[in-house]
Amino acid sequence: MSLLRTLRIGVLARALEEILKVPSHAFGYPLLQPKGLSQKAREGLVKVCPSGAFVEEEGIFSLDLARCVGCGRCALAYPEAVGEMKTLEVAVVRREDLVQRVDLAAQAFLDPGPPPPPRPELRLPTLAFREVSAGDTGLSDSEIALLGNPFNDMGRFGFQVVASPRHADALLVTGPVSRNMAEALERTYQAMPEPKGVVAVGNEAIAGGVFAESQEVWAGVDKVVPVDVYVPGDPPRPGAILHGLLLLTGRVVQRLVGGVVR
Amino acid sequence: MEAVKEALQEGRPVAYFPYGEGALLLVERRRSLEAFSLGQGRRLPSLAGEFPSLDWFERTLWERGLELVGHPGLRPLRRHDLPYAFREFPHLHEVPVGPVHAGIIEPGHFRFSVLGERILNLEIRLGYQHRGLLRIMLGKGPEAALLLAERAGGEPVAHALAFAEACERALGIEAPPRAQYLRRAALELERAFGHLGHLAGLFTDIGYAYGATQVGRIRALLQGEVDRLTGHRYGRNFIRVGGVWREGGPDLEALSRYQKELDWLLPRLLKHPQVLDRMRYVGVVRRVEALALGFVGPTARASGVERDLRQDDALYPAFVPAVRQGGDVLSRAQVYAEEALQALEYAQRFLRQRAEGPLAVEAEAGDGEGMARVEAGRGEVFWFVRLEEGRVAQAEGVDPSFKNWRALELAVRGEGLPDFPLCNKSFDLSYAGNDL
Ligand code: SF4
Repeated sequence: MSLLRTLRIGVLARALEEILKVPSHAFGYPLLQPKGLSQKAREGLVKVCPSGAFVEEEGIFSLDLARCVGCGRCALAYPEAVGEMKTLEVAVVRREDLVQRVDLAAQAFLDPGPPPPPRPELRLPTLAFREVSAGDTGLSDSEIALLGNPFNDMGRFGFQVVASPRHADALLVTGPVSRNMAEALERTYQAMPEPKGVVAVGNEAIAGGVFAESQEVWAGVDKVVPVDVYVPGDPPRPGAILHGLLLLTGRVVQRLVGGVVR
Repeated sequence: MEAVKEALQEGRPVAYFPYGEGALLLVERRRSLEAFSLGQGRRLPSLAGEFPSLDWFERTLWERGLELVGHPGLRPLRRHDLPYAFREFPHLHEVPVGPVHAGIIEPGHFRFSVLGERILNLEIRLGYQHRGLLRIMLGKGPEAALLLAERAGGEPVAHALAFAEACERALGIEAPPRAQYLRRAALELERAFGHLGHLAGLFTDIGYAYGATQVGRIRALLQGEVDRLTGHRYGRNFIRVGGVWREGGPDLEALSRYQKELDWLLPRLLKHPQVLDRMRYVGVVRRVEALALGFVGPTARASGVERDLRQDDALYPAFVPAVRQGGDVLSRAQVYAEEALQALEYAQRFLRQRAEGPLAVEAEAGDGEGMARVEAGRGEVFWFVRLEEGRVAQAEGVDPSFKNWRALELAVRGEGLPDFPLCNKSFDLSYAGNDL
């Protein structure tokens, strides 16, 4: 069995199921527990979260996964109110699907309905992509680069990095898009041939992350170029980015709907 | 003014930022820090003509609205809304590169003036990563501000540590011994992880696939240990003001195994003819240049400057820095190799020595000022913070890359254009760290 596996994926590379798993020692993504959201827990959560991921408004308590820095403090302090999703299959096509919304009166998640499918013209067996770092501290970039290492070996899924946007099917963008990088990002996008996809990698690329309020950033790639897939994380582990690429090419289905694995 | 000049003659600037009525200049001389208050109101005398190590500092002060009287050539460093003129070299061909690069790397613009293949001048223009980080720290509590400090440069542990220590000094508290050891263990793992990345990158750039794969493999495994210790693959969310958040369990046996493997592997890789052929005598930064421009970290140590902040840290008794004299790409690679091994050794020692006791002391909101320096993988990280009623009223950070970027301009001078990526990788500087 192991010989067969080795022949199929190489000596170091791991099977896809394994890449998409959060290691046992690490905290996954937080998951609200609708029944445990007492008044006290809610107030505590808003206070304990360093990045302002929890918001309460008009009877709805929400957790934005694209604001979460993954510190795990909420789950530690209020285990009855916040659990954990141990999966890296978190890439989504629709931005709202990264937000968990709990109707406090009904003690249940709000369901935003089925997500739209990925664009069919991007259903490609191989994908050449260009990376643009637009205000990222370098860690999301590093995770993308590590996706190519012998352990993850994205090449076997038909993904490769190319040096020119002219040769690219997709653009991976990291960072909140600093004002000073917006033009370069836009021009790189313009230089790509159709059809072209865009993946926003990491919380900062999705909505600015901890830089959201800064006047020096656009706070989200989709403010500058259209985005097809959002990969949350701070930075997302290589597995999550791989899931985003697979979702872009329509080879996996979106698992998070309304912020919850369904 | 004479005292400032004397200090700069022998020492090097650590930080220079607006303070009170004028600006505060911190100079390290004979391993101690001297502070000078300069200027009255918004006017400062420029010293960059005489001390080029102050040039970029003065440019940032000017961008922030101070007047630098007598500066030889003020141009913006981070702001792109101000006009910027590249230096012109008539009759030379110009090669522009970036801000978007061919590989997976942060953005920056390089303007080469070449004669045939030979680089006669390189001008680096940065600022693409400017996110207004220092400004949005204002008004935040230390904990929220620390999230930003962790995102200042490529080395989250070092930045978090320096920022947390600056806050601790401002509040008059100290992290408990157990946290001290755990913080240093994370710092050393971060250093080893970073250095192995630089080495793997260098081997990739010269087409030495065996070296790149072997180092890359151990590096990927080591990242698992950073993850186990801190709960994050790069060590974020670990250090807090007053201590650390958690205590994970890295695998000490695995660490010693990686160390042994590298101990065997690295010297052999660095003696490979292909490595010697491509890295020796390439990209030289001389000692006088390193001193005059105030370079820090492995960049300075590979050019014979024997300085490492860990020499002053009581937790590292009798610390001996890794120093080489050559100043070329090979010397920097050798410093990375030696420091990576040393870092793994220290990380294990700290993890074994960690005492019992609490992981943190609670910090009360308060007023005060504090500053701290930490030797990160790339060199000295500096943070200054002023807290008023528990909120950040001023924060100033200096990433080692800010001090070292000009080393690249010097290193490529006279080299062939194709050697640029190799030289660049040998410093592997943070763009975001420069662009605060
Ligand atoms: S894990 Fe995320 S949501 Fe929970 S406290 Fe940390 S940042 Fe906030």
